[in-house]
Amino acid sequence: MSDSDSHQDAAVKEGGRERILVGVSPSPFSIRLVRAARRMADGLKAEWYAVHVETPSQAHLSSAEQERLSETLRLAAQWGAQSVRITGTHVRDEIMEFAREHDITKIVVGKPLRRRLREVLLGSVADQLIWNCGDIDVYVISGEGEAAVPTHRRRKPVRPMESNYLWAAGIVGACTVLAWVLFPYFHLTNLVMIYFLGVVAAASLLGRGPSILASCLSVAAFDFFFVPPYLTFVVENTDYAVTLMVMLLVGAMISTLTARVHRQAESARHQERQTAALYEMSRSLTAALSLEDLLQVVVKQIARIFECRVSIMLPDDRGVLVLRQGDELSPDDEREALAAQWVFQRGGVAGAASELLAEIKGLYLPLRTSEKNIGVMRLETGEPQRILDPESLRFLEALGGQAALAIERENLLRQAQTAQVQRDSERMRNILLSSVSHDLRTPLTVIAGSASTLVEGEENLDDRTKRELVQSIYDEARRLDRLVHNLLDMSRLQAGEAVLNREWHLLEEVLGTALVQLDLLLKDHPLIIKLPPDLPLIKVDGLLLERVLVNLLENSIKYSPPGSLIEVTSRVQDQELLVEIADRGPGLPPGEEARIFEKFHRVAPGRVRGTGLGLTICRNIIESHGGRIWAANRPEGGAVFRFTLPLGDQPPALDKPSPEMLISPHEGENSSH
Amino acid sequence: MKVRILLIEDDPHIRRFLRAGLTSQGYDLLETDTGREGLALAASQVPDAILLDLGLPDMEGIEVIRNLREWSQVPIIILSARGQEREKVVNLDAGADDYLTKPFGMGELLARIRALLRRAAPGEEGQEQTFQLDRVTVDFEKRRVFRGQEEIHLTPMEYKLLLALIRHRGKVVTHRQLLKEVWGASHVNQQHYLRIFILNLRRKLEEDPTRPQYLITEPGVGYRLRDE
Repeated sequence: MSDSDSHQDAAVKEGGRERILVGVSPSPFSIRLVRAARRMADGLKAEWYAVHVETPSQAHLSSAEQERLSETLRLAAQWGAQSVRITGTHVRDEIMEFAREHDITKIVVGKPLRRRLREVLLGSVADQLIWNCGDIDVYVISGEGEAAVPTHRRRKPVRPMESNYLWAAGIVGACTVLAWVLFPYFHLTNLVMIYFLGVVAAASLLGRGPSILASCLSVAAFDFFFVPPYLTFVVENTDYAVTLMVMLLVGAMISTLTARVHRQAESARHQERQTAALYEMSRSLTAALSLEDLLQVVVKQIARIFECRVSIMLPDDRGVLVLRQGDELSPDDEREALAAQWVFQRGGVAGAASELLAEIKGLYLPLRTSEKNIGVMRLETGEPQRILDPESLRFLEALGGQAALAIERENLLRQAQTAQVQRDSERMRNILLSSVSHDLRTPLTVIAGSASTLVEGEENLDDRTKRELVQSIYDEARRLDRLVHNLLDMSRLQAGEAVLNREWHLLEEVLGTALVQLDLLLKDHPLIIKLPPDLPLIKVDGLLLERVLVNLLENSIKYSPPGSLIEVTSRVQDQELLVEIADRGPGLPPGEEARIFEKFHRVAPGRVRGTGLGLTICRNIIESHGGRIWAANRPEGGAVFRFTLPLGDQPPALDKPSPEMLISPHEGENSSH
Repeated sequence: MKVRILLIEDDPHIRRFLRAGLTSQGYDLLETDTGREGLALAASQVPDAILLDLGLPDMEGIEVIRNLREWSQVPIIILSARGQEREKVVNLDAGADDYLTKPFGMGELLARIRALLRRAAPGEEGQEQTFQLDRVTVDFEKRRVFRGQEEIHLTPMEYKLLLALIRHRGKVVTHRQLLKEVWGASHVNQQHYLRIFILNLRRKLEEDPTRPQYLITEPGVGYRLRDE
């Protein structure tokens, strides 16, 4: 392992979080075990895994036990664990394997109450784990209590292959001794069976080579000790020659078959681990909220599975690859970027230990969807050959493919959103344009028509008609002015919060200026204003609040019959200023209460003139001040519009008058001069 | 002699209706469409008042005002659009006397001009002992304020504020100017003082404080005490 890699490993261990594994069995005690692990995980803010190892001996679990096991795993998942089922022959080995793959730092297992004979002889799973755990802490929780005893053991060296052959010879020796003991009582063919037993044992425990050795040794030992003439390898009877030949053949077949079964089990387990890793990644990818999250997940997962440093590069708008996540490339090596670009354009693998640019540090693979490469993944490790092994490569490509799909999905989503926003604003602009041009044209028609009538028919018009025409020119001009104000305010609002010119205002005063704008319209509607004398100051954009009041009042005037009362009231409620404008008109059609604030929505199109913009602007203004606006029907008839404005802090209280601010009688006399 | 008004405005249609309105009221009108020519006319013709549009093609309105104020106290009314409140305040603080928001009616413009000319007329000021506006009477000598026959009791600050507005009656006074005159230069940014005192004054002087007849709010700019 290179220097940088060991640094990297140390960094992973130090910076990485605790990861806890709890071993789960069908025993009812497992629930307590899971609970203990959950407490530990919560305390350490650790990721945790509930792992059950299915061994062939457990194939005959009762359905009650099966159910209990599923329930335990389900509970663990509910409490935040990742529940995993693994199949394998040895619980200990599978747990250790899983622990190493997932960087587990602590293992929690149970200690059974009753010991079975086998466990007395070989040690329980807990015992085996303690002796084999390496630098992982093992917590053993006993059936009675839940006191956890941390233990720490050095990693046991892996048994070397050569010793397997010695073991095979030993097994054959043992068989020979047993056969020698039984020789006087049994027929020779039964002794052959003892040797077969030995071969099967060697095949299943030691692997193919030692078991073939065991077959050969068995044939030799059998011939030497039990086939007359004894203690020579000479065979007199041809019958025995056949026996020996068949024995050798059967031994070899047993070895091969057993080894194949082993290999298949091994590959099935491998497959399962890969599937689990893929599943875990797709789960994390689904949970990722943004492209950045997503890339982080990919880099983290692949780095963990392959124990290497991972970076991801995606093309920017101009198609140039840019590092988006993970470690920097070797900046002093220009060939790195070259390899990345090559892989992105042509696919395939390049970089460390591959056929192309083998001498650079990084190994480059494309992130590929079914159609195209959408980016490049870079891996850096001390042993790139490990990754280039066909099976690893296939697995890595599967992970990369999954990542590529997720990235593509994210990109498409973003494109779709942008397109949607563009379509919406385009639509908005069109509606606005047609609505505005219509609303501009109406008053303009009145103005142009009245004015031209005055120009053309000067002599024929009586004074009263002239006066009326002039008045309508003036009224329509005022209407145009209000429309233009609304449009201006709306474009200001679209520029965002920064444009708000917030100052301390009094509702009473702002309402006053709104009423000045509406004096002509208000002449047919009695207005009642009820404001408490001690309303607090509000920090708002005065002109925009005035616009809200003008629009709401104009709305009430338009939609209620002449002569009917309009009421404006206000009060402080829950740290907010609440303002109500109520009319005695027909009220709002049911279901329209919320829709009336939508752009260009009008309750009775055609009946009343207006853009349908007024209430939308009100809502924009109020919401940009952090308030709410809504409408309702009054129980006694008519509509009521309410809005709130947050009060927040009040401005500093008025200072006590300082001496310079007091007027002396002398100054008072002269102040008007 | 006819009162002479200089109109600096680049839009010919606005000039046309202003010409019609002002000459029919007996004013003598000088017109120009650039700031530069306006300044030249102001120097050579000595108008009694100037109407200045803020959107001139050749120079910023504020440059015209600063230039004029270097040598002349002629009353200046600025014409500007709504939504330019900050600009109006800057121009008023730079020396303009009043403003009108487009679109405006002829009545409003004539009232503004009359108020300014009255204030500019020499000799009248300093002679009056009382101020009268509708039902409100202020007796400067006795420092008493009446609404109808009823005496109104003002605090010293309220009285000082009312006097400041009376000094500038008919003309807009920016928040800044009022705060400076009444509270002192250190308080020019504390608009909320002003709002509360104006509210209290209205409650004492006005029939309906939400629809004031005397103390008019000029949104985003300041206040005006009605004059006629």
